[in-house]
Amino acid sequence: MTNLSTFINSATSRRRFLAGAGASAGAVAALGITGCAGGTTSAPSNPTTPSTAVTDTDILNFALNLEYLEASFYLYAATGAGLQSSDTTAGSAATYQTVGTVTVGDAAAVPGLTAAQQQILNEIAFEEQAHVRFLRTALGTAAIPMPDIDLSFFGPLAVAATITTAATGSGSFNPFSSFDYFLVGAFIFEDVGVTAYSGAAPLISAAGVTAGYLTAAAGILAVEAYHAGYIRTSLTGRAIAAGSAAAYPYLGAANLVADLRATLTVGDSAAPSTSGSVETSLTLPTSLTTPSAIVAASASDAVGFSRTVNQVLHVVYGSPTVGIGKGGFFPNGVNSPLAITTA
Amino acid sequence: MLTLGVSSLAGLVIGGSATRANAATVAYSDTDILNFALNLEYLEANFYYLAAFGTTIDKANTASTAAGAPLITLAGTVGTAGTVSGGSKVPFTTIPVASYAIETAVEEGKHVQLLLTALGSSAVAQPAINLGTAFQTLATAAKIPGGSGFSPYASDATFLVGAYVFEDVGVTAYHGAASLLTVPANLVTAAGILAVEAYHAGLIRTTINYLDPTGATIAGYTNLISTLRASLSAAGLLGVAPGSYDANPDDFGLATVSVSLGGGTNATAARITDADATNVIAFARNTTQVLNIVTGGGAVSGTAQVSPAVGVFFPAGMNAGPNGFK
Repeated sequence: MTNLSTFINSATSRRRFLAGAGASAGAVAALGITGCAGGTTSAPSNPTTPSTAVTDTDILNFALNLEYLEASFYLYAATGAGLQSSDTTAGSAATYQTVGTVTVGDAAAVPGLTAAQQQILNEIAFEEQAHVRFLRTALGTAAIPMPDIDLSFFGPLAVAATITTAATGSGSFNPFSSFDYFLVGAFIFEDVGVTAYSGAAPLISAAGVTAGYLTAAAGILAVEAYHAGYIRTSLTGRAIAAGSAAAYPYLGAANLVADLRATLTVGDSAAPSTSGSVETSLTLPTSLTTPSAIVAASASDAVGFSRTVNQVLHVVYGSPTVGIGKGGFFPNGVNSPLAITTA
Repeated sequence: MLTLGVSSLAGLVIGGSATRANAATVAYSDTDILNFALNLEYLEANFYYLAAFGTTIDKANTASTAAGAPLITLAGTVGTAGTVSGGSKVPFTTIPVASYAIETAVEEGKHVQLLLTALGSSAVAQPAINLGTAFQTLATAAKIPGGSGFSPYASDATFLVGAYVFEDVGVTAYHGAASLLTVPANLVTAAGILAVEAYHAGLIRTTINYLDPTGATIAGYTNLISTLRASLSAAGLLGVAPGSYDANPDDFGLATVSVSLGGGTNATAARITDADATNVIAFARNTTQVLNIVTGGGAVSGTAQVSPAVGVFFPAGMNAGPNGFK
């Protein structure tokens, strides 16, 4: 039978990921030699194991970084507080030992929610918290601590995406200020979570598959897609109810986020083009015969996208610069030997 | 099975189903697995094409053409080609539900096309598919009020219930298949389709939740359907004590749950996500479990597998290679 890779660009992404991972290890070693200026919890500090392969532990810990971020965001939005401290500590054998802090900024319980909306925020917060706990348990003593997280980055990100004027006409973007703003804030994360797990799944080793890592990753991937489906359905549905893009600017704001993500991830490609896009813009159906665009997937075969580690990092660091190792939501980088972008 | 730790992760992930799943399945090639998926995609795509456009995947009409839905050439040759019975265009009255139906139809059509193309001469033919009375049979079994007269083609609301029947099953089937695939590129594709099925499931569950926030009607039906699916799935595990499984089902409807957030007190949460309550990892099902759901119990007799599994949506069974599906 014809191999599916004939039709799926994702395979290319996988090769890029593998190549990038190997290069990353090299970059880590080089940085270690020059002394890690600004050395923080993010400073790679494992020169004795110049592995050129990504281990399953690396993959799970990379995912844990993202789950710390997502859980912190949703918990603040739902309750006004973040992860409890016992969910953020370092495993005794982890390469990184310093527990980071959350720069709260405007983070607070979203006001003015209906009971149904509060239940949704509670659900997603609980589920991301569960993923943090699951990964920490699976990793055991190898679990990295929570890195420094900056929840005030939504403002600068929104400015970069030109959301401020598009969505509100005044004031700064604050995902903790209303349900609709929250949806746009969540939109930043959810499709990224889906694509990150999709990109990671085929990297898991044969032993990791036997140990259940692959099915775990696939199961979390599905949950992230449920969440993304919720967020995108809500934005679309509320826009339809409002009747026009002008009456519901949050849909357009979310699409500006998607545009920005596409721009940020070009660091991974020497010749960015729409053919390499991993974004599907939301649409505003205006009749009974126009389709929505809830699913983010390839237009040709409706297969969900995947992102490489580098592409994910460019989004959460808020920078397309190759070689950057921190910034944006992770002011001191993720706790990972993969922290520095290599493409 | 709930012992924590890396070594027990496989069991932990899906509440034990993974381990039992391995025991229940035969050795499938990637081609087998993709053909299993193709059978399911035939089913889903025809349902959405009929609901959104009033036609099947192999016959274009004005509506399907206008939506850009792929016209499928039924190129699969393995097995016995069957026909699609039942189904009709839903008289949609709301833009959200109509637009979602169109989007989903197009995407499921693309999945059929993708798998047909990838499998080439190894692709199974479209089997006989019942999209009419099958729903009444399942609705009755699920104890949905008026189930014997239930039609997913009657209204926006009943369409959503019909879609609900399929989407979470798609998620669990692709999830179950993921760790069985041997060609990495196939895994990437399966993961990508898994994501899309979960987007669809999230879309359907979100919309039902919006339309019936109190669970008085269609959201309440989701609990009944999930309970039925969990029961059929449990039988697919072959001999697992019903009592132990009922306490730990692999399917949840939209009924709210109580959760603990951060270090705080309990809060009421929605259940858009269909996943286990502890780790919140979506469920996986093996082929027997999936077959038993889509055939309404046709895959299992007592503690033995029945092959071919026949019933409900697949009145003549799925099409498969020489080894069949169990």
